[in-house]
Amino acid sequence: MIPIKVENIHKNYGEIKALKGVGFQVNEGEIFGLIGPDGAGKTTLMRMIVSLLFPDEGNILFMDRDVVSNNAFVRSHVGYMPQRFSLYQDLSVEENLLFFGDLFNVPKEKQHQRLERLYNFSRLGPFKKRFAGALSGGMKQKLALSCMLMHEPEIMILDEPTFGVDPVSRLEFWNILGTLRDQGITQVITTPYMDEAARCDRIALIYAGNILALDAPDKIIADFPYNIYKIASEVPHILFNNLKSVMEEKDIQLFADGVHVIDRNKMGINEMRNFLKAYLKDDEEPAQSNANLENIFLDLMHEQKEQV
Amino acid sequence: MHRVLYLVQKEFRQILREKAFIGIIFVMPFIQIVVLGFAITTDVKNVTLGVVDYDKSSASRRIIDAFDKTSSFIYMYNLESEKAAQKKLDEGLIKVAIIIPENFERDLRSAHAPVVQALIDGVDGNSAGVATAYVSQIARKLQIEWLQDAGVAPQVLSKMHLTQIEPRMLYNASLESKNNIIPGIIAVLLTMITAFLTGMSIVREKEIGTLEQLMVTPIKNYELILGKIIPFIIVAFLLMLVGILAGGLIFGIWVKGSIVLLFALSILFSLSTLGLGIFASTVSKTQQQAMFIAWFFAIFAILLSGFFIPIQNMPDWVQVVTYLNPLRYFIVIIREIYLKGTPLVYLLNETLAMGIFGLVTFTLASLRFHKRLS
Repeated sequence: MIPIKVENIHKNYGEIKALKGVGFQVNEGEIFGLIGPDGAGKTTLMRMIVSLLFPDEGNILFMDRDVVSNNAFVRSHVGYMPQRFSLYQDLSVEENLLFFGDLFNVPKEKQHQRLERLYNFSRLGPFKKRFAGALSGGMKQKLALSCMLMHEPEIMILDEPTFGVDPVSRLEFWNILGTLRDQGITQVITTPYMDEAARCDRIALIYAGNILALDAPDKIIADFPYNIYKIASEVPHILFNNLKSVMEEKDIQLFADGVHVIDRNKMGINEMRNFLKAYLKDDEEPAQSNANLENIFLDLMHEQKEQV
Repeated sequence: MHRVLYLVQKEFRQILREKAFIGIIFVMPFIQIVVLGFAITTDVKNVTLGVVDYDKSSASRRIIDAFDKTSSFIYMYNLESEKAAQKKLDEGLIKVAIIIPENFERDLRSAHAPVVQALIDGVDGNSAGVATAYVSQIARKLQIEWLQDAGVAPQVLSKMHLTQIEPRMLYNASLESKNNIIPGIIAVLLTMITAFLTGMSIVREKEIGTLEQLMVTPIKNYELILGKIIPFIIVAFLLMLVGILAGGLIFGIWVKGSIVLLFALSILFSLSTLGLGIFASTVSKTQQQAMFIAWFFAIFAILLSGFFIPIQNMPDWVQVVTYLNPLRYFIVIIREIYLKGTPLVYLLNETLAMGIFGLVTFTLASLRFHKRLS
């Protein structure tokens, strides 16, 4: 069984082309990440997988069934966590959990067993009487996830689940997702954070309705053919503007702690140092570095823009 | 089907946690009945009156006495002339001036048909009409008394054409307006609660995002709709009960007919208003929009229902439009059951019309409501 297969999906909102022929396949028991900035088309795609939107063109298969004609099947077998926190703020943690158990026809005895298990790993047990609206951001996300686990779905669709959550809670959340993967639950997750992308089994980098790269994160990094040199700087934007006059814009990337340079012409680090010397301050020096997903994403984005 | 119960249970948890809601259910109908029951009165009381008495006879004295005694009028001035009366009317000090001509008593006794003139401030058309009617009524009463004094036999008397009674005499002493107002308010409350709260409650789930979450569950469309409307039908009925109690305890007006019939027909009526609420929710993104749309339709329904303005007073084409208004039928039904105890047999036409509208509206609105994002 293939959990999810997306084939050549197009979707327009009036004049705006949200998705321009996207396709990928999610394998059983993996965490598949859709990585991209806001407006890339991630949420549209997620909503189509859970049958809330229809594609204009192309097919989506959910457990080998066409989503459009089997929406009742999809909706009873998927665990969907929308982008916004969407539980009842005026119901308690326990009431929310039981309500979703009820909606998915989980028998009462089973609900209570599962409740205990979910309390254990989410550590929400002590807060079960608290209103959902009074929980912290991280706890809210754990509750939303738990609600979706009440019916033990085979596949989970999580749309930016860690958005606005503190780093510690994000880490905890990802540990939970790891546990779920070990139990065999297939997960499709979207995130704008590159550090989270690295925790997925496979990722699709998506930008402006197109997939730019699709593979395991390590593989994508290993396949990147160029060296990256990092120039640490106190005033990165000034450095960036200076370098613009000697280098192609697609080869320099502005970061908070400095500028990253792509060695597209394979000059090597020493030649690059000499080449840039005149434009650098004394304490700014190119250093050998490994490409990370963000470098690769920015480079692919640039390439995409040039094509258009 | 179990899922409907879970939805209803969830909805009630939320309703009971909202303190303002409890207030709306129990305090609002009470206050409305009390305030509107006392305030909205079409009975004419305390109309200021001036009299120009050119005759100064015992007969003219009797007329003045009669006006002085009734609570409908306050006798303010004895005026010199018609001109003085006109001035008082212009200044707004009196609403009605009665002018008794010279030789009134003599003409009356010699059957010369004296003419008593009434000048009425017509700014408030309703009061003016009623005041006119009262003036005629008092004049008629006096004529009968005089004729009896003069020894005319009652049989002859009953055949005589006396002062013409103003035909706009819609209100008489026994039918007080609060009798009309109380069932009317209950009907309006039912309209508002079912249309507004249903629509707003669905849109609220849209606003906070829970509707998107609910859509991706096995719940069916009709279950979602039932789960939304059942709680508000129950709320609406509680509210009706409070209204009925308030009307009974404060104004002594109880339901004369079958309360079961009243509630059964109220459900039938609610189909239209619930349909309106669901429709509003399908075209709105925010609670304000839903509220505005529901209000837009509700205000027409209320104004064209015959509650405040009698339908036969409306222009012909508007009267035709009122046939499309389910509240029009329900106002008739609730008044009939409430005040006269009319059984269903005599209300079949209204019930049928209301039922058809309800089913059509509700079905169309429910079809518009689907578990998909646009």
